[in-house]
Amino acid sequence: MLAPAIICSLLFSYIPLSAWYVAFSEYHLGGSLFGGEFVGLKYFYKIFQDSSDLGYLVQNTLVINGVSLAVVLVAAMALAILLQECRWKKGAKLVQTVSFFPYFISWVVAYALVWALLAVKSGSINQFLVNAGILKQGINVLGEAKYSWRLMILLNVWKSIGYNTVIFLSTIAGIPSDQYEAARIDGAGRFQLIRYVTLPNLLPTLSVLLVMNAGWILNSNLEQFFIFYNATNWSRMEVLDMYIYKFGLKMLDFPYATAMSVIKSFVSILLLVAVNKVVKRINKQSMF
Amino acid sequence: MKYKRKLSDHIFDLCNGLFLVMLFVIMVYPFLYVINYSISVPVGLRGALLLLPKGFDLSAYKTLFQDNNILGAFFISIARSTITPILMLSVTGMAAYALATQNLAFGRFLKTFCTLTMYVSAGTIASYIFMKQYHLMNNFLVYVIPYLFNAYNMILIISYIESIPYSLREAVYVDGGNDLQAYWRVFFPICKPVNAAILMFGIVSQWNSFMDTQLYCAMEEKLYTLQYLLYNMLASISNIEALKSGAVEVNAQSVKMAITVITVFPVMCVYPFLQKYFTSGIMIGSVKE
Repeated sequence: MLAPAIICSLLFSYIPLSAWYVAFSEYHLGGSLFGGEFVGLKYFYKIFQDSSDLGYLVQNTLVINGVSLAVVLVAAMALAILLQECRWKKGAKLVQTVSFFPYFISWVVAYALVWALLAVKSGSINQFLVNAGILKQGINVLGEAKYSWRLMILLNVWKSIGYNTVIFLSTIAGIPSDQYEAARIDGAGRFQLIRYVTLPNLLPTLSVLLVMNAGWILNSNLEQFFIFYNATNWSRMEVLDMYIYKFGLKMLDFPYATAMSVIKSFVSILLLVAVNKVVKRINKQSMF
Repeated sequence: MKYKRKLSDHIFDLCNGLFLVMLFVIMVYPFLYVINYSISVPVGLRGALLLLPKGFDLSAYKTLFQDNNILGAFFISIARSTITPILMLSVTGMAAYALATQNLAFGRFLKTFCTLTMYVSAGTIASYIFMKQYHLMNNFLVYVIPYLFNAYNMILIISYIESIPYSLREAVYVDGGNDLQAYWRVFFPICKPVNAAILMFGIVSQWNSFMDTQLYCAMEEKLYTLQYLLYNMLASISNIEALKSGAVEVNAQSVKMAITVITVFPVMCVYPFLQKYFTSGIMIGSVKE
C-alpha cells in the first residue's frame, strides 16, 4: 500500500537531486545528465566572484518575503482580536469569511484583479482618481520598480491574512474563560483584558508561526513573480527563484542556474534545521 | 457582574466597526468590479467604479463560450482538478494508513523518507530536466503523476487515523479482512472529515495551478488550462500597458473581465465547503505541529 507513495517520492523528490551534478559540469540541454565535462566549482566561483547579482537578489528576496511574513502574521493577529471584540457577531463572521477567500484564488486571477483596478490607463481606481482631479496621471503600480516591493507585500497580506486569522481565532477560542473572569474581578477593563489576557495567549502562536515560516524565507512563489515581473520593474522583482528560472530556462545556462539553486537549497536546509530547534524550544516553554 | 460600558468603549467599537467595513470593501470590491464590468454594456466604463453594473450585456460571455480554445482549456482545467485530487487522496491515504501500522518493519525510516519530501526539492531546473527524462513534457500526465503523493496531507491523515482506537484494525483482521479492505471499507469512511478537506484543497490547488503549464506544456496548446489562457490574454495587452503605451480596446477589456470571472467562479462555488472542512478537517491536525 505504501509502494505508490514511495515510487512517487523517489521519482519526483529524491532522484531529481542527482541533477545537482549539472552545477559541477558543462551540461547542455539534450545531452545526457552526467555527460558534461566535470568542471568542479567553476560556476560557484562565477556566482561569488564574477557576478555581483547575489547582493540585489538576496535583498529583494529577504525584503519581500521577510516583511510579508511579519506583516501578514501581525496583521492577522490584530484582525483576530478586532473580530473577537466586534459586538455584531454576524458581521464579524462575514468579514472573516470574505477575508479568507483571496487565499484560494490563483496568482493569475490576483494579477487580473490588480490589473483591472490599477492599470495606468484602464484601471478603475486610477481612472477614478484622475477623473476626480486627485491625480494628474494614473500611478503605474505594475510597471514602476519603486512600487514593486510594496505591491508584492500588500498582495501577500491580502491573500494570506484570512488564513492566519483563522489560526489566531482558534487560539483565542481556546483561552480558558476563567482567565477573563479572574481579570475582570481584579477590575480589568476591556483594553486591559486585551492587553493582559488575549495578547499574551496569542504570542506563543505568533512566535511559532513566525519561526516556522522563517525557514522558507529564501523560497519565493515562482508563479507570483513570474506573473508580476516585467521589463520595467525587474530590478526590484528579481528574487532568487526568478533568477534561477531566467538563467536556466530562458537563457539555457543550466549549470549556472543549478549552482545558484544548490546554494539556495543548502542555506534553506540550514535555516530549517535551526528553525526546528527553535520551535521545539518554544513549544517546551509554553508547555511547562 | 454587569460590565459597565464607558465612552472609550463606544469610540473603540465605532473605530473597529469602521475598520472592519473598510476591510470588507477591500476584500470584496475587486471581485465586484470585475463581475460588474463583465456584465455591463461596454460603453463609457472607463473611470467608473461600477458598484452596480451599467446596463446588462452578456456578449462577452457569448464570445468566450463560442471560442474553442476557451472550451478546451475549461475542459483541461476540470479534468485535472477532478482526476488528480481523487488519485492523490487514494495514494496518500493508503500510505498514511500503512505508516500508521504499529510495529511496521522499518516504520520510522519509511515515515521519515516520505515526510522529508516536504523539504527536499531539487529546484525548478532539476524538475524540468527530469520531467523531460520521464517524457512528461507536453503530456496531460504531467498534471497528475507529480502530484500523486503529498506528504503534508499524509501527516494530516496519519494524525487522524492515530486518533482512532487501534483495536478497530485488529477487529477487521479477526474477521478475516486484509489491510486493503481495512483501509477502503473501514478507515476511509471514518476519515471523512480530513479526506474531504484534502480533496477540496486538492481541487482548488489543481484548478489554480499555472506554473506547470508554463514550464512543461507551453508548446502544446491542447493542454492549456484556463489559468494559462487568462494569463496569456492579460499579458498580451497589459505588458504593453505597463510600458505606458496606447489605448486599450474597450470590448477586449470586457472579455478579459469575463474570463477572469469564469476562472474564479468555480472557486467561489466550492468556497463554503472549503471553509467548513478547513476548520473540521485541517485545523485538528495542524494544531499539533
